[in-house]
Amino acid sequence: MAKVEKKRALGEETLREFLREMLLIRRFEEKVEERFRGGELPGFLHVAIGQEATAVGVCQAMEEGDIFASTHRAHGHTLARGTHPNAVMAELYGKIEGCSHGYGGSMHLYDVSRGNYGANAVIGGGLPAVTGAGLAFRLRDEPRVAVAFFGDGATNIGTFHEALNLAQLWRTKTVFVCENNHWAESTPGWQHSPVWDDMSKRALAYDMRARKVDGQDVEAVYEAAHDALEYARDGHGPVFLDVRTYRMHGHYIGDPQVYRTKDDRDDAAEHDPIPRLRARLGLSDEEFQALDDEAIGVVEAAVEFAKNGTDPQPEDALKNIYA
Amino acid sequence: MPELTYREAVRDALGAALRADEDVFVMGEDIAEMGGSMGVTQGLLDEFGPERVRNTPISEMAIVGAGIGAAMAGMRPVVEIMYEDFLTLSLEQIVNQAAKHRYMSGGQLKVPLTIRTQGGAGWSPGAQHAQQLEAWLVHVPGLKVAFPSTPEDVRGILWSAIYDDNPVIVFEHRLLYPVKGEVPEKLEPIPLGKARVVREGTDVTVIATGPLVHRSLEAAQAAEGEGISVEVVDPRSLQPLDEEALVASVKKTNRVVIAHEAVTRMGFGAEVAAVLQYQAFDWLDAPIERVGSKFAPLAFAPVMEQFVVPQAEDVLAAVKRTVGK
Amino acid sequence: MANEVKLPRLGQGMESGTVTRWLKSEGDQVEKGEPLYEIDTDKVTQEVESDFAGVLLRIALAEGEAPVGQTIAWIGEPGEEAPAEASKPAPVSEPVPGTEVPGTEVRPVPATASTSAAANGGRIKASPLARRLARERGIDLASLRGTGPEGRIVAEDVERGAVTAPAPAAAPVPVGEVESIPLTNIRKTIARRLTAAWQAPVFQLTRSADMTRANELVAKARELHPDVRVTVTDLLAKVCAVALQRHRNVNVAYTEDALLRFPTANVGIAVAAPQGLVVPVLRSVERLSLAEVAGARAEVVDRARENKLTAQDLDGGTFTISNLGMYGIEQFVAVLNPPQAAILAVGATEDRAVVVDGEVVVRPMMTMTLTVDHRAVDGADGADFLRTVKQLLEEPALAL
Repeated sequence: MAKVEKKRALGEETLREFLREMLLIRRFEEKVEERFRGGELPGFLHVAIGQEATAVGVCQAMEEGDIFASTHRAHGHTLARGTHPNAVMAELYGKIEGCSHGYGGSMHLYDVSRGNYGANAVIGGGLPAVTGAGLAFRLRDEPRVAVAFFGDGATNIGTFHEALNLAQLWRTKTVFVCENNHWAESTPGWQHSPVWDDMSKRALAYDMRARKVDGQDVEAVYEAAHDALEYARDGHGPVFLDVRTYRMHGHYIGDPQVYRTKDDRDDAAEHDPIPRLRARLGLSDEEFQALDDEAIGVVEAAVEFAKNGTDPQPEDALKNIYA
Repeated sequence: MPELTYREAVRDALGAALRADEDVFVMGEDIAEMGGSMGVTQGLLDEFGPERVRNTPISEMAIVGAGIGAAMAGMRPVVEIMYEDFLTLSLEQIVNQAAKHRYMSGGQLKVPLTIRTQGGAGWSPGAQHAQQLEAWLVHVPGLKVAFPSTPEDVRGILWSAIYDDNPVIVFEHRLLYPVKGEVPEKLEPIPLGKARVVREGTDVTVIATGPLVHRSLEAAQAAEGEGISVEVVDPRSLQPLDEEALVASVKKTNRVVIAHEAVTRMGFGAEVAAVLQYQAFDWLDAPIERVGSKFAPLAFAPVMEQFVVPQAEDVLAAVKRTVGK
Repeated sequence: MANEVKLPRLGQGMESGTVTRWLKSEGDQVEKGEPLYEIDTDKVTQEVESDFAGVLLRIALAEGEAPVGQTIAWIGEPGEEAPAEASKPAPVSEPVPGTEVPGTEVRPVPATASTSAAANGGRIKASPLARRLARERGIDLASLRGTGPEGRIVAEDVERGAVTAPAPAAAPVPVGEVESIPLTNIRKTIARRLTAAWQAPVFQLTRSADMTRANELVAKARELHPDVRVTVTDLLAKVCAVALQRHRNVNVAYTEDALLRFPTANVGIAVAAPQGLVVPVLRSVERLSLAEVAGARAEVVDRARENKLTAQDLDGGTFTISNLGMYGIEQFVAVLNPPQAAILAVGATEDRAVVVDGEVVVRPMMTMTLTVDHRAVDGADGADFLRTVKQLLEEPALAL
C-alpha cells in the first residue's frame, strides 16, 4: 500500500520533495506576476503566494484516479498535482500546448489525465460537481475520491451549502478543502462570516466530519488530507478540512490592496510556509539555494517553452463546444 | 403500434435506459416513492431501487451540479427539475458549468447530462409554476435543447439526450403528459436536430413547439375549411436546430407563422424568424408572423391566463394574416 | 348610449361602400340579425344585417358612398337621442395607390371598392418573394397592384402581371445571318408593358384641330421666352392637362379592384431616346405656364437623350402624349401606357384644304388619335375630352 508507506515515510526525502514543489509554485507565480506586469500575459490572474503548503500537502496525498476541482487561484493545485510547468505556463500564454489548449487560461486550468477537472472562476461553482463525482465513485464502487478546493469566501454561497448537504446525505466520496485565507477578495473574514475563524462549524451543521488544519505546515496538511481521503475512499462519507492559510499577495495581480493594512501583510509574510519547511529540514543556505535555483531554472524554461508555443488559429474558437 | 401517453413515453425511455445501462441513474425532487410531481417516474423506484432512482433534497443547484460531476466522472445521469421555473435556481450550474467544461478544458471533458424539466400554462398555477423558458438555454453555446411534443418524439428524443455526450435540456409540457399517441414497438432514437413535418400544406408554414404543435394542428384544420393549406413543422430540437427543414418548408409555402407558448419577446420564435428572413428572404411573400404569450407574467385567474397564453385561434388569425384574409 | 351602425368591411381590400337603400325607417324596431340596409360593393349588392337590437334612431347616410367604419345610423332604446354628428372612421389602412402621384391625394372612385395600394411614401410595398420574381422576370413593380395585406404586392400579383408574350409568327427565311441582339432591360420593359397594354380592351377616337392659333401662340411664346424653346408638344401637354382637369373621368388608372382617379395631370411625353422609348413625366402640368412646361420638358427630354433619367422621372404619369409629327406621320394609333387609361397620338401639322363656313380654305391641321382603355373610360367621356382638347388647341388662350 503505497499511501501507507508514504505516510509513514514522511521523512526527510519526502519533505525535501515537498519543498521542491513549493519552491516551484512560488517561483512560478512570481514569474507570472513579473510577466503579467511586463504586459506579456493576457487576462485576469490570481496567485496563491503563501498558500503553497496547502496545495502541495493535499495534492501529494491524493492518489492516481482521484480528481479535484480548483478555483480561480489554481496554479499551485495544478502544478502540485503534477502538470508540467511548461503546460501551465503555455496555458497562461494562450498556447495550444497549454494544459487547456488555450481555451481556459489561468482561471480555467484543466488536466484531466492528472485528475484536474477544472479550475472554476465562479466562487463555489465547482462544488456540486465534486459532490456528483463523489456520488459516481460511490455508485460505481470505485476507490476514488473527488476533492474540492475553495476559499472561505465560497462558504456563503448556495452551491456550497447544497453541495455539502447532498454529499453528507449521500455519503459521497468527497473531500472539501477550505483554503481559509480570511479574505473574500477584499473583504476580511470577520466581515463576511460569523464563523470565519473556524469554518469547520459550517460542516458540523451538515453533520459532516470536519477538521481544522494549519495550512502553513505542509506535513500537517498532508496528514489531514491523507486521513480525509482514506475516510472518504472507504465510503464513510465526505470530510471537510478547514485549512488555515495566508494570502501574502493581493486578490489578483495588480491589486493595490488598499483594504489591507501593512501589519496584516507583514503578519501573512511571517507565516510564509517555505522558510518554515526549510527550517524544519535544517537546510543550509547552499542546499536551499541549490533547490531554489533548480526551481528558477524550471520556471525560466517554462517561460521559454510557452513563448515559443503555438498560437491557436482564431477559428479554433469554434471547436470543442460540443462533444 | 402501441399507444402511450406522453407521460408513459418519458417513463418508457427512462426505464429502458436504466435497464440497459448501469451508468444511467435518475434523480430529482419527489421522483422516487411519489413517482415525481407529474407522475412520470412512477414505478421506477420499485424496479431500480433508491440508488438509481434518487430522491433529492429541494436543492436545484446541487441536483444539477451533482449531475454534472457524475457525468464528468463517466456516468449518464438524468436529473429532473420539477418545474422549469425552478431551473432558474440551477442556471449557474447549467450555464457556467455544464455548458463550459468541455470548452474550457480544450476538449478534455464531456458532460453527458440530461436535464428533464416541465412547465406550461393552462391550469392556473400562477406566475411561478408555468413559465416557458426554453429560449434562455438556446442562447448558451455548449447546451442542447429539445422540446418534444408527442409521445413518440419525447421517447425517442429523451433516449438520444441520455446518450448524447453533451448536456441536453429536455423541456416537457404539463398539458402534454396525458396526450396519447402511437409509438413504435421498439424504442427508436430520434436524433437531436431533426425537425418533423407534422402536417403537410402548401400555403403557410406554421413552425410550432410543444403544445402549440397541437394548437397549430387545430388551426390548420380550421384554415383548411377556409381554403388555406397549412403545413405544420415541429423543430423538436431547438439546439441544434434543423434550419434546413424549416427553410425548405418556408421556401415551399412562402409564408410562415412561428408559434410557441413562451412570450413572444425574445422568444425562440425571434431566432427562427431571424434564420428564416436571412436564409429564405427572397421566398417570403408575407411578413413572418409570431404567436406567443403576451408580455405578462402568468396570472392566476383562468380568464386572464387564457387571454395571455396563445390558443389555436391566435395561430389561425396569424395564418390568415399571412395570406391577407 | 345608442349603438353606432358603421359601414362594414365586407371583403378584403374594401375601403368604402355605397348605401343604396334602407330596409328600415327611422323609428322602426330592429332585431339583431335582421336585414337593415343594402350596400353596393364592387362585387354585389347585398343586404346587411343589424348587429344590434333596438330602435333605428337615426339614419345618417340615407344613400351614397361612405368609407368603411363610418357611422351611418344609430340604434338604441326607444326615445333615446341619437348623437348629431357621425363619428369619423378610424383609418383602416393606407389608401395610397401603387401608381401613386407623389404629393397628391388619390381618392377611390365611388361605387367600386378599392384595394389598398402597394406604394408607401415613394417606396413600393412588395414582399421579398414578389421582388425576387419581378427582378427575375424584368417586371416593374410600379406597374403592379398589390392585393396582399396593406396593399402589398405579393407573388401572385407578379404572376398575374407577368403575361406571356404572344406566340411568335413563323419567321421568314432570313437572307444572311440572323443577328441576335440581347434584350436590354429597357427593351424588356417596353415589351412587357406594351404587351400588357395589348391586354386592355381599347378604342380609338380621332379628331383634327386647326393649329393656326396654336402655332401663333407657340411663336409668341418663343419670342417672350427666348431662353426656353417652347414647342407644340409643350402646348399639347398644357392643353391636355387642362382638359384632363375638366374631364377627370379620363385622368384615371384602371386596377383590378378600383379605378384610381387622380387629382392632378401628370403628363408623360414619349421620347425616342437612344436606349429606346422612354416616357418621362411632367408633373401637375395644369398648374404650369407654357414656358414652365417647356423648361421642364426640355430638362427631362435632354436627360432622356443622355440616358440620365431616374426612376422618379418615369413614375406617376396619369396620361401620355406621343408626338410623331416631326417625323411627318399624318396620324397613327398609340399603344396604351398602362395603368394610365388614355394616350394621345399626335401627327404632323400640315396645310390641308378644309371647309370653313362653306368655303374651302387652307389651314394648318393636326390630326390626333386618342387611345382609351375601355375598362376605365367610356366612349362618350373620351369623345368629350377630345373635343375639349381640340377646342383648346384652336383657342389656346382658354387653356392658359
